[in-house]
Amino acid sequence: MENRPLEYDYTVAKMFMLTTIVLGIVGMTIGVFIAFELAFPGLNTVLGSGLAEYTNFSRLRPLHTDSVAFGFTVSGIFATWFYVGQRVLKVSMAESKFLMFIGKLQFWLYVIGVAAAVVTLFMGYTTSKEYAEFEWPIDIAIVIVWVLWGVSIFGLIGIRREKSLYISIWYYIATFLGVAMLYLFNNMEIPTMLATSAAGETNIGDWFHSISMYAGTNDALVQWWYGHNAVAFVFTVPIIAMIYYFLPKESGQAIYSYKLSLLSFWGLMFVYLWAGGHHLLYSTVPDWMQTMGSIFSVILILPSWGSAINMLLTMKGEWQQVAASPLIKFMVLASTFYMFSTLEGPIQAIKSVNAIAHFTDWIVGHVHDGTLGWVGFMIIAALYHMAPRVFKRELYSKSLMAAQFWIQTLGIVLYFTSMWIAGITQGMMWRAHDEFGNLAYSFMDTVDVLHPYYALRGTGGLLYLIGFFMFAYNIYKTMSSRPVEESELQNASPMGA
Amino acid sequence: MFHWLEKHPFFFAVGVFVTIAFAGLIEIVPNFAQASRPVIGTKPVTLLEQAGRDVYIKNSCNACHSQLIRPFKAETDRYGHYSLSGEYAYDRPFLWGSKRTGPDLHRVGNYRTTEWHENHMKDPKSVMPSSIMPAYPWMFTNNADIDTAYATQLTNAQFFGVPYNKPVPMKDGTTTVVKMANSLADAHKMALEEAKEITAKMKDQDVKDAVARGEIPEIVALIAYLNSLK
Amino acid sequence: MDFNEFAAYAYFFLVVFLVVVTYSYVYHLYTKRKDSSGVDYEHYSNMALKDDIGDTPVKPVSKSEEK
Repeated sequence: MENRPLEYDYTVAKMFMLTTIVLGIVGMTIGVFIAFELAFPGLNTVLGSGLAEYTNFSRLRPLHTDSVAFGFTVSGIFATWFYVGQRVLKVSMAESKFLMFIGKLQFWLYVIGVAAAVVTLFMGYTTSKEYAEFEWPIDIAIVIVWVLWGVSIFGLIGIRREKSLYISIWYYIATFLGVAMLYLFNNMEIPTMLATSAAGETNIGDWFHSISMYAGTNDALVQWWYGHNAVAFVFTVPIIAMIYYFLPKESGQAIYSYKLSLLSFWGLMFVYLWAGGHHLLYSTVPDWMQTMGSIFSVILILPSWGSAINMLLTMKGEWQQVAASPLIKFMVLASTFYMFSTLEGPIQAIKSVNAIAHFTDWIVGHVHDGTLGWVGFMIIAALYHMAPRVFKRELYSKSLMAAQFWIQTLGIVLYFTSMWIAGITQGMMWRAHDEFGNLAYSFMDTVDVLHPYYALRGTGGLLYLIGFFMFAYNIYKTMSSRPVEESELQNASPMGA
Repeated sequence: MFHWLEKHPFFFAVGVFVTIAFAGLIEIVPNFAQASRPVIGTKPVTLLEQAGRDVYIKNSCNACHSQLIRPFKAETDRYGHYSLSGEYAYDRPFLWGSKRTGPDLHRVGNYRTTEWHENHMKDPKSVMPSSIMPAYPWMFTNNADIDTAYATQLTNAQFFGVPYNKPVPMKDGTTTVVKMANSLADAHKMALEEAKEITAKMKDQDVKDAVARGEIPEIVALIAYLNSLK
Repeated sequence: MDFNEFAAYAYFFLVVFLVVVTYSYVYHLYTKRKDSSGVDYEHYSNMALKDDIGDTPVKPVSKSEEK
């Protein structure tokens, strides 16, 4: 054994950084493409009618949602875990060959799972449940990847040097448990290969086809308990874990109130799970559940803002850093967008507002100001912070990063403003009656009016995508920029011009 | 007491799990037995309709079309009677959707016809001049997966007690029986019979020829399913 | 007492229980500056700020306490 000081080992973190960027590009490119399909339907057959099946909006839509959620975001969660986990527990992956092996195994299985998911979704093999479209063999692969991640988390915790668990670790643990519970229950299904005909035939049709264990209203209830909380445990909880580590670290400021962070954690854990019912307002699920969903959604503002305000106040007295560092800009805007979408969500969950907003583009806008502004920006910031440390080199270009920030911010603003107008306009037109009590508009009228907003939304998405390519290029060039000393990596990340 | 939890990862994890599982326990579990009772007049889908439902799912029609009519005047005026929980008793998976880029389809069978769907799926602009819905030409050439649809029916009957080959009460006081085939060969025969009824009203010669040859293009199954939505 | 009635009671008492737990947690956090092992809560932020492998942990795992 050579005698050199122990170092953190970022091998697995680097692997997942790569998939974060690659799958981000894939998912967002598809997203921009299908956004323009709504504005210009001719794009549906852009590769000719022979391939129309694979360039069609409806076939691509699950690919977009799943590749940004389970590709980009989940990769980002894994990448940051394999970075943050080691550091706040003060233990290196190099100290355990077992955990290193598990980490790499998790990565390769994940890659295989993603490949299988992409192929099957293109071919149209889907269970149709949103964000849970995969058929059961892929579900099983996902569960294995997830269990391996659990082994990593608790394995690393088991050999830690720091006795207390930092707040980020709490959130990672909650992500692990929450997704495990939700995913398992929502994907309960019976493979059709188990059925036998009266003539004794078995294995009829596709072997991987399956049927949901729940029917109708129950299925909807479980699905949106899942769907809403997948948002919680993929797009909120782990992202809070990231910001609680990366913002204090990059700015050199202690968290404004560590106690508040603990309190918001338990608040968020308890309240979030109730709010799923707001996806089903005025549907056929029992009234009390709808009301419960509505009320808890409003209560949810408290723990969400607890975290967000805690983050913003962490910068107290240090606001010059926001002006100086584009990296801090990303994080501060991320927590601002978090506050924004956690206020917007509860507003949409109020029953009378939901009556207009549901089924419209306003909901799409809401999801995207959360995902583009909060999730996207935070993961981008996290990777920017990690890059100099895992590559031991300074970030390639600060000015490129600043340009990316403003381009993407403009993209988000175009996105959500156009979707607000589109959603509220359409929602109002659907319910408008003339003076004789007849419907004032045909459905087609309400679609025609959306064209400029769809074009604007596509443009906003395109700007964000361009920014993402700038991000990928910046990280790529960082790998070969000026090497840095350990001492430069204490807080603010070193950046080239 | 609280602090102890923060230093013992296992018990901490248990604590978090109990906290997050609580809502599901209260909200979801008690409702399960109640919501799955079918209302009078709800019957399971036939084989061809099941194959059509699979086509609907395969192409994520539910990404743009809901199947849930909310109890507002504007919606009942536009789409028909508001949806009832029991109507979905046999829906696995549910297809409510979450976005109406296009109109609701829960009762589309009441006001659209086979001819209309045929024209619309081939070229939406021919019936809705400013439609933004893409055309689905491959449904006219790809064959529907009758085998998997049959396996789905069998699974529904065996594992979930969906009443195939059993009398189901209808609104007018009579009963009706939705038949399920005994064997795969039998199933193909049944599906073809159903398909012929649909193609009798269609005008695409290739589709008619295919059915005459014993094949069932996806469009035929899809139309059968859409017609059954009432 | 049918199932629904039982569920309603169970629900009510669970809510009361959770309210008590939450508020005692709030009370605990904001009346005590230090936790039971004598560490100021706010010092836990240093777990992120001083996280090099050579830095001293805020509260090291001692061998004798190992379960």
